Formats: sequence, structure tokens, C-alpha cells
Amino acid sequence: MQFFTRLASWSFGLLLLGFSIFVTLETLSRKIFNFSFQGADELGGYILAICGSLAFSVAVMERGHIRIDFLYDRMPARVQAVLNVLATLSMFAFGVFFLRYCYSVIKDTLEYGSTAATPWATPLIYPQSLWYAALAIFSVVTAIRAVSVLKEFLAGDVAGLNHEYGPKGISEELNDELSDLRSR
Amino acid sequence: MAVSTILIAFFIMLAIMLLSVPIAAVMALAGIVGGVLAFGWPLVETMGAVVWGVQNENLLTAIPLFILLGELLLRSGIADRMYGAMSMWLGFLPGGLLHTNIGCCALFSATSGSSVATAATIGTVAMPTLDARGFDKAKSLGSLAAGGTLGILIPPSVNLLVYGSMAEQSIGQLFVAGIIPGLLLTLCFMAYIAFNHRHERVGSEPSIPFAEKLRASSAVLPPLVIFAIVIGSIYLGIATPTESAALGVTTALVFVIFHGKLTLAFLNRCFIQTAKTTGMVLLIVASAFILNVTLSLTGAAQSMTSWIASLGLSPVGLLLALVVFYLILGMFMDVLSMQVLTIPIAVPVIMAAGIDPVWFGIFVVLMCELGLITPPVGMNLYVVQGVRLDGGPFLDVVKGAVPYVVIMLAFTMLMIAFPDIALWLPRTMFQ
Repeated sequence: MQFFTRLASWSFGLLLLGFSIFVTLETLSRKIFNFSFQGADELGGYILAICGSLAFSVAVMERGHIRIDFLYDRMPARVQAVLNVLATLSMFAFGVFFLRYCYSVIKDTLEYGSTAATPWATPLIYPQSLWYAALAIFSVVTAIRAVSVLKEFLAGDVAGLNHEYGPKGISEELNDELSDLRSR
Repeated sequence: MAVSTILIAFFIMLAIMLLSVPIAAVMALAGIVGGVLAFGWPLVETMGAVVWGVQNENLLTAIPLFILLGELLLRSGIADRMYGAMSMWLGFLPGGLLHTNIGCCALFSATSGSSVATAATIGTVAMPTLDARGFDKAKSLGSLAAGGTLGILIPPSVNLLVYGSMAEQSIGQLFVAGIIPGLLLTLCFMAYIAFNHRHERVGSEPSIPFAEKLRASSAVLPPLVIFAIVIGSIYLGIATPTESAALGVTTALVFVIFHGKLTLAFLNRCFIQTAKTTGMVLLIVASAFILNVTLSLTGAAQSMTSWIASLGLSPVGLLLALVVFYLILGMFMDVLSMQVLTIPIAVPVIMAAGIDPVWFGIFVVLMCELGLITPPVGMNLYVVQGVRLDGGPFLDVVKGAVPYVVIMLAFTMLMIAFPDIALWLPRTMFQ
């Protein structure tokens, strides 16, 4: 899991840095030499679609998806465990939705051999299959978490479950930031 | 669609969210369930294309870029050094360091980034100095919590970006519209501090030679330069918001290299944080668009619009009702959820009442800022409480923040009375 987070984050980060440098050069060349290399828009869209979808999974593993913990914090541990199971299953349901209904996009593209309406005329199946793969990873990640949260729940490990699947509260996030601050 | 159905559906969604089910999942599932109930499964087949459409939107590429920009500046320690420089310049004002808190937060907001990280950084840097100089606890904590809210109003702001993409408004205009309200609100905060400390003896700060002040001020340069490049290029029509974000990232990268901070560990932290925040924001945006499919096909917005019109409220009356609505919502919800949940319905309603949607974007963000410092769930209050060193009661922070809540409400009234505060600058923009 750690390895996946790193891999996804680094690919995203490096692509964003590369994209920024590309756009900077493009903007300068457009303004100074009146020459545009085109395609930056399109590239940005693909980076977002593919890496953004990978980032969904990173946020799941880092427990970064927003949950309102106002009532959660005031509940006994057992109730919290039930809520955490519910939250994990709801993300799994989201994953199933992606897997089943985003496939129709791929199907249509294959059927019509669609290309992007841009100067590059990219066959859309290239970016879309990567995008779909990233969404499929999201469904796998959420499925694994759904199975393991149910296992822990049935085993009655309330504390462990809440620790691993509970919302990341402000205090935990703050502690992360403070330890980062001390280290720099 | 009947208004009662819409309201019941809204409250069911809110109730499930309060059960701590992830906001994104609730919104997407609400869109799917509602869509199936109204039109059957074929509707859901069309939602995949909506997800691709949102995620492949070049405009939204600006979101991870602005997040990365904030991370680069924050984690390279450029913000930490800013505090000392700002305090040299603002220290002479009555209320001294409290102005530095507000000023630093405002300047830092010019590079967006996470509000927890910003408040944690500035809070940690400020707290020991504030304690050493014997500043009143509540007042110091309040100024930090309130200063931290400025980030989402002063551009570039991810929140304004999300508003623009959902309300189909120009991001450039929204960013430019945020400048004057952001600066004015900063000045209002500082005026309050100065007024509050008017009897204090001025000049208690040690005097520093001008040359030294100037040298230390180089720490303030990176955020200023980046702000000028990002907003300047948008204002002058040189770059789209996404391009301006890319220019900002490149500039930040140059500063990071110049400061010798470009290490693998640094990049690792920035990248993971960027991926995590982007994943969180984008999933919520995607789920909002999924919900929107159902909302627009069922005509929910039109029903609400005609219902509100039938109440016979004046535009001002409508806005005052919305202030109350957002204040209550903001007590329990975080900023982003509050925005995406209300925009699809609120924007058509206010547009039908003749209110400018760009102005409304600034209004919504102001309301979200209030939500950050109103208990019980004001996030900034908890962050500031978390960085204080003496472990005193939470009530101190709340007490300190109350005056700023009042100032922000008064400022909202001012914006309602004089909409040009937000709308004048975008009108002068290069189109």
C-alpha cells in the first residue's frame, strides 16, 4: 500500500512539474515568438483524468476523504466501529459504480473509434483506458478495505478497526503537520 | 419536482453525512438512487460519460497545480521566514504582532494550499513570540484563526475554482473579484486590532535599521512574486487559470531550488500531500457532477427557483436568508462539502433574483470562511487550539474569534450594499 501511494504520488507530481514547465515554455514562446506548440490543454486534461483517478485511491489509503466527524466523535467506540464499516462500504459502492458505469465510456469509444476533437486527434482509447484502469484500481482498493473492515468487525477488534478506518480528525492531521514542521 | 421532495431528499442526505459517511460517496449515491427512482437504470448509464467529462476538464487541472504550488512554498520553509520579516514592518502598529499574524496569513493565502498546514505553520512560528511578549491568549488565538480563513478568499483559491466549475462562471473573473474583498477584509481585521489596542504604548518593539529591514524582507518576495505572476497573467489575459497555475508552479520550483531545498524527501512529502488533497477534492467534484445529472433532469433547481420566487423575497431578503442558512450549515460542515452541496440549487435561484453569479461566488466563499471559525465544528478554531503551547481551554479560541465573526458578518452586509466591492475589478479586466 505504501509503495502504491508513493508510486502514484510521484507519477502525479512529476507529471505536474513537467506539465508546468511545458506550459511555461509554451506561454513564453507564444508571447515572445508568437509560436504556440499546441496540445498543452489536451495534455493537462489527460494528466488530470488519469492521475486524478489514481489520487482517489491515495486519498482512500491516507484516509483523506472528507467525513463529518461532529457526531462520530461523540459516539461510543462500538457505534464508531459500525459507522466506519458503513463509510468503508459506501466507498466500495462508489468503486463498483466506477467499474460498472464508466465502462460504458470505453465501450462507446471502442465502438466508434473516437478521437479527440483537437489538433493532435488523439485516439481517445489511449487516455481513457488508462483512466479506466485507475478507476479499476480504486474499486480494487475499496473492495480490499471493505473485506478487511468486515473481517475486523466480525472479529470484534473495535479499537483496531477505529484506528485504521476512522476519519482522520483535525488533531491527527495537525500532528502530521507539526512533525513535518519540526523535521524541516 | 415537488419542493417538499427536494427538501426531504436534502435533509436525508445531510443526515447520512452527519453519520460520517464520506461526503463524496453520499452525493454520488444520492445522485444514483435519485436518478434510478425518477428515471430508472438507463439514466445511470449516462453518468460514466459525465465522470470522464469532469475529470478530463483542462480547467480543473488548475486544482492539483495550485495545491502543488502551495505545498512547494509551505514545505520549503519559505513561509516560516516570512513571519520575522512581516513583524519588522507591522510591529510599530498598536497591537504589534497580531497584525503580523493577519498579514502573514493574507500573504500566504496568495499561494493557497491547505488551511490546516498554513495555520499550523504560522501558528507554530508565531506562538512562542506571542507568548514571550505577553499577548492576551484569546486575542492572539483569535487573530490566527481568523487570519487563516483569508486563504480561500484571496486568489488563487481552490474553492473559487470549484465554485466556478460548478456554477459555470469564469475562473479568471472570480479570482480577480476576490482581490479587493480579500484585501479589504484583511484591512478590517487590522483596523479592529489597532482599535482594540489603541491605548497601548506604541514603539515597544526594538527599532531595526532600515537596511536590515530591507534585507530581511527578501523572505516576503516569493509569495509576492508568485501572486503577481499568477494573478497578473490572468488579469492581463496572458494566461488561462490553468496556465497561470503552471507558471506559478514553475516559479515556485525556481525559488525552492534557489533556497537549496529541492531534496527527495521534500518532493516526496509535497507529492503525497498533493495527491491526497487532489484525490479528495476531485472525488467530491466528480460526485457533485453525478448528483447534478439527477438534479438537472428532475428540474430540482427550477422547482426551487419558482418556489423561492413565490415567497416574494427581495434580493436582499433572499441573501439575508442565505446568510442564516450558511451560518447554520457552516457550524457542522466543512467548506468544500458546503459549497458543492448548495451551489447547484443556490446559483440558479440567485440568478433568477437578478444577483450576479460572480459576486455570489465571493459571497459563498465569505460564508464558508465564517464556517471555519464558528463552533462547534470551525476547523480553524481546532487547528489554532492544537498549536498553542499552554494547553488552555478551547473557549479562549472561541472568545478570540467572536469579534472576527462579527466583522465578517458586517463585511458581508457591506458587500450586499455595495456589490461593486467585488465586481469593479473584474470589469476592468482584459477580456
